[in-house]
Amino acid sequence: MQSEKIQKILFILPTCLFLLVISIFPFLYSVYLSLFQAKLTKMHKKFFIGWENYQVLLFEDDTFPTAIKNTFMIAFSSITIEIILGFIMAKIFFEIRHIKFSNALRTVTIMPIMLTPLCVGLVFLYILNPTLGIFSYILDTVFGIEPFAYLGEPIPAKISIIVINSWQWTPFMMILLLAGLMTVPNEQYEAAKIDGANWFHVMTKIEIPSILSFVLLGVVLRLIECIRLFDIIYITTKGGPGIATEVMAFFTYRTEFRSFQIGTGSASAVIILIISLIVTTIAVTLLRRVERNEGLN
Amino acid sequence: MLRKILLTFSLLIFPLNSLLAVNWEDELGDHSGYNLKVQSIMDPYIDAVKEISPQFEAVTGASVTVEGFGYDGLHEKQIVACSQNDGSYDVLFVDGIWIGEFVEADCIEPVEDIWTAEGTDQSIVAWDDYISSFAGQAIWDDKKQCLPFGGYWHMLHYRTDLFEAEGLEPPKTFDDVLAAAKLFKDNPKYPDLEGGYAMNMARGSAAGQQFYEWIYSAGGKPWESNFPGSPDAYADQRGLYNSPESVAFIEWMQEMINYMPPGVEQYAWDERAKAFTQGKVAMINNWSVRTPLFNDPEISKVKGKFGVALFPHAAGAESVPPVGGWIACVNKHSKNKEAAWDYLKWFASPEVHREWVLAGAPPSRHSAMNDPQINAEQPWTPVLYESSLRAWQELRPRHALTFELIETLGIEVNKALTGESSAQEAMDTANKKIDRLLKSEGYID
Repeated sequence: MQSEKIQKILFILPTCLFLLVISIFPFLYSVYLSLFQAKLTKMHKKFFIGWENYQVLLFEDDTFPTAIKNTFMIAFSSITIEIILGFIMAKIFFEIRHIKFSNALRTVTIMPIMLTPLCVGLVFLYILNPTLGIFSYILDTVFGIEPFAYLGEPIPAKISIIVINSWQWTPFMMILLLAGLMTVPNEQYEAAKIDGANWFHVMTKIEIPSILSFVLLGVVLRLIECIRLFDIIYITTKGGPGIATEVMAFFTYRTEFRSFQIGTGSASAVIILIISLIVTTIAVTLLRRVERNEGLN
Repeated sequence: MLRKILLTFSLLIFPLNSLLAVNWEDELGDHSGYNLKVQSIMDPYIDAVKEISPQFEAVTGASVTVEGFGYDGLHEKQIVACSQNDGSYDVLFVDGIWIGEFVEADCIEPVEDIWTAEGTDQSIVAWDDYISSFAGQAIWDDKKQCLPFGGYWHMLHYRTDLFEAEGLEPPKTFDDVLAAAKLFKDNPKYPDLEGGYAMNMARGSAAGQQFYEWIYSAGGKPWESNFPGSPDAYADQRGLYNSPESVAFIEWMQEMINYMPPGVEQYAWDERAKAFTQGKVAMINNWSVRTPLFNDPEISKVKGKFGVALFPHAAGAESVPPVGGWIACVNKHSKNKEAAWDYLKWFASPEVHREWVLAGAPPSRHSAMNDPQINAEQPWTPVLYESSLRAWQELRPRHALTFELIETLGIEVNKALTGESSAQEAMDTANKKIDRLLKSEGYID
């Protein structure tokens, strides 16, 4: 009995060690560093300052709170757009699923997901360039609108980031919702047709309740992705103008690798992790509740 | 007349023996089979470095690889590599203002120590031949840490054809610049122009550095003890970023932005130079390293149609042209410091420096500034030389917090320029943040 217990421990030991080295130790070391005034250029001179890094980040400097606010504003707006457009697109592809070439069309539609965010950022940087960009050119030649710096003004820059982010990830939501629509039993549509339900009734009474768990899954995955949003910001606005598009991940990168303030950077990384954990826990709890309710129904 | 005075001055301070050709065969070691790696900024001079490096290869047997990076990326790479004791690169080209940070991080082997130990012939180093406003950027902790090689000074670049057509003189004061910018913006006579002027306004380093470049000529100073001729610029670093002069300068920029091209809020060094090269703006202030590009017919639409003038100044203030540029350092963690030092002393010597400048790079020595051939090929050199002699070496902070400080300032300046905050609010915030940073590192009490 005793040897069986030891055997079990020995079996899980490599996994535990792996987790300890790869995940737990770096996290604990980050927490440790976040309590120090530490700069990469003079790590040997770091000194303990307690919670001061957290205090400065959250209460004394407006940049990090703005970054948190921006991250959630971008996440909320992008995900909302993605759900609405993703659902419309999923409905279209659902309706044309029997038509020839619909599969090929679907593949083309999901191409933005396959691009790295870095390339997406670069493409949009060129498109939105006020002097050379195609967007300004079209607006100027067709509508006579003067060239405008879309990434150079606070509100247009925020909108641009949301548009770029949504453009890339709407197909992801579309695929997910399409998969959801495919699971709706055909009998339900037939019954609705017999009962004289119109498209709105079908959408609100049959489709949306059926795909709610897919929507929530998409929201959870996208929320996690949006909290880590970095590449697009790095390429297009670098958090500017001012701090209009500063987001948490970019702030942390800037603090750690531009200013080399390891202590402050670690503190912001720890805060991001805590926020991610809270958001993910809430979202997963919701998801489970929806799944349970669906199971009961 | 001015040229004669400058020439006489330079000949007085510059030892003639440094002009004599060096026997490099005797001076340099044999580094056959070694691949010497140079890490550089991707500035226009990089092609000239690649062009002349084969001469070093021929004498020493080493092969030289020069790799270029963007400004922020280079700083990041160099500091991270240094923290890992990385010796992949032997020679580091470092911005003069990073010197304090690099010394603090123990990234470089002081050249003064190397040449003292080696007993290097000082006529090869020819330190006195360097223009002092630039040479000072390679000195930290009272020690010559690196060899200066690529000195830049700011000049006002303007379109001679447009100014002649309007009967205008090159602008001297801020008011002149504003009036000319107004005149050229949206002027139907010049449909190719998108703006009268272009400045670096992008968030971060670009806007932050722009502030330091202009503040002295605006009649202000960034902190208490930093002013041209200050005996100890770092004695009292309490910030004056929200002084009336600083705020007035930001307000002037806010007015100027109306006469700049669309999207200027995202302009950094390249965008500013490109706008002028493409004939989109009538004026820019620009580092001298990019001036040769404006005369390159392959990329420039303004070849032979531009002139240079001293950096403008506010009414009642004097022109203090910004100085900057790159210094060559021996990587403390290099696997072959002897080869690195050989490359440095060869590359920065007056003789090779001249060849490098003739290959299209910026002159940084008195001898190069007064060289007839260089003057013929780079006709802006007399104005550049005058700018270099007027410049103040502590233009921007050079201590270990410089990068962070400039970035912090650049965010607030950019906020004021994009209307996120008023000039006063932005500079009050900048002053508060910079003071907090300096306090946290013990630079001020």
